[in-house]
Amino acid sequence: MDYTKPLPSVNADNEHFWKGCSRHELRFQKCRQCGFVRWPASFICPECHSTDAKLITASGKGKIYSFVVYHVAYHPGFKDDLPYVVALVELDEGPRFLSNIVGCDSNAVACDIPVEIAWDDIADEWSLPKFRTLA
Amino acid sequence: MKLKDKYAIVGIGYTPQGRVPGRTMLSFHVEAAANAIADAGLTKKDIDGLICYRHFPAASGEPDVTSYLVAQHLGISPTYLSQEANCARSQLFHAISALELGSCNYVVISYGHNALSSDSMTKMLLQRGIEEMVFGHFGASADYALAAQRAMHMFRTGSETWKHIAVGHRKWANLNPRAMFYDQTMTFEDYFNSGWVVEPFRLLDNCLVTDGGRACVITTVERACDLRHRPVRIMGIGQHHPSDYVQRATHLTGPTGARKAGEKALHMAGITLGDVDACEVYDCFTYTVEITLQDLGFFDPGEGEEWLAGGRIEPGGAMPVNTSGGLLSEAYHMGLTQITEAAMQLMGRCGKRQLGPATHTKEPEIILCSDNGGTLQTHACYILGRL
Repeated sequence: MDYTKPLPSVNADNEHFWKGCSRHELRFQKCRQCGFVRWPASFICPECHSTDAKLITASGKGKIYSFVVYHVAYHPGFKDDLPYVVALVELDEGPRFLSNIVGCDSNAVACDIPVEIAWDDIADEWSLPKFRTLA
Repeated sequence: MKLKDKYAIVGIGYTPQGRVPGRTMLSFHVEAAANAIADAGLTKKDIDGLICYRHFPAASGEPDVTSYLVAQHLGISPTYLSQEANCARSQLFHAISALELGSCNYVVISYGHNALSSDSMTKMLLQRGIEEMVFGHFGASADYALAAQRAMHMFRTGSETWKHIAVGHRKWANLNPRAMFYDQTMTFEDYFNSGWVVEPFRLLDNCLVTDGGRACVITTVERACDLRHRPVRIMGIGQHHPSDYVQRATHLTGPTGARKAGEKALHMAGITLGDVDACEVYDCFTYTVEITLQDLGFFDPGEGEEWLAGGRIEPGGAMPVNTSGGLLSEAYHMGLTQITEAAMQLMGRCGKRQLGPATHTKEPEIILCSDNGGTLQTHACYILGRL
């Protein structure tokens, strides 16, 4: 089946992230100097400017910081999904990650409600970290 | 020597605007610039500084509109040339800096875009946020909607607040023959009936997409006094750029850059908010107007609805806001919509929408302008005054 939506753009900064996703691991850089877990992926820690980082795998649990409901498709690949939810998920490890809330009606989405990861295997080498609400 | 009141806006350039097919981005830049030069009573040989506003992706079949290309087509050879990439919002600062350094004497700031009729905006949308696109997240409207949704969680705001902003701007546009919505009125009912785009924003929470251009000319107050129009003095300027990535940002629900930028501009001008007669604030979305006025200190978080109710920002109101109709109802020329409208008001050239007796508002002596970019990531504030 042809996947009609945009695919991730991989570059030297975020390669570890998307490779992790293909193994269903949500990996972020954690600064070895100050402990800050950063996203977006970056060569340098925005808190202390150290370039020394290790990769951690996040639990995939968090809560919704904010969300929007798309009623217009800016790209034809999303037309059949309308209305769909894009949310900023505040992960337990710290970073906020922009993703989709899936598996529920958009009316059931609210700020600060808990969510967990729901991997979406879109193609052989690609899995997208999406989220579902927890009761 | 103090910078306050040392420099002035002396000429404004308009172009046809709205849906204007068959025109390049460059053509709007040069037409607006040429009109601003003529409006000031200057000729192109006087112009030795050029600053072009945001550099949008070139439309298919068109050249990249660099500032030297604009200079080339204006037939000028400036001794100061600058082009801000993206949303830095510091064009007036650059103009003043160049003048203060003695690099030039007369600076043109221009903007032009065929946003409605070309594919440039689509290209911009698809270049922006490449990591978010995989989740179907595109562009400014949705980023601001994320900010607005969180704000609705943090304090009392939402459609009941924003309807006053949308309708208020439209009332001003209905007095401005140049406005894209000059002929169309808007009621609260119209606002609520406009469909969701990216919820919590309805269509009428969103600004316009415009073909057109805008420009202005800046020089010293000393030189300004010999020119055609009553000069508009630049009393105060301030910037603050929170910059932070939208996903990580904590400033989305305030204080945004408007807080610090406003404080700096008011301080330099030596005035308080109480001295401001009107505001021309960047209004890409209704929420942007609310959060900007809130962060400037006009009201506390959650009190916007009450403050706005009763037409405070409308014709006849105590604090007119965006008297041309703004980006929401006049036309989108980035921050130049605001700066040029403030200057025209202070020059007294606004006809039916002129602040003062014509609109049952206070005669304007001082107008506050704000300019905001990214997703509340960059901010500049300007205090302009009558000379």
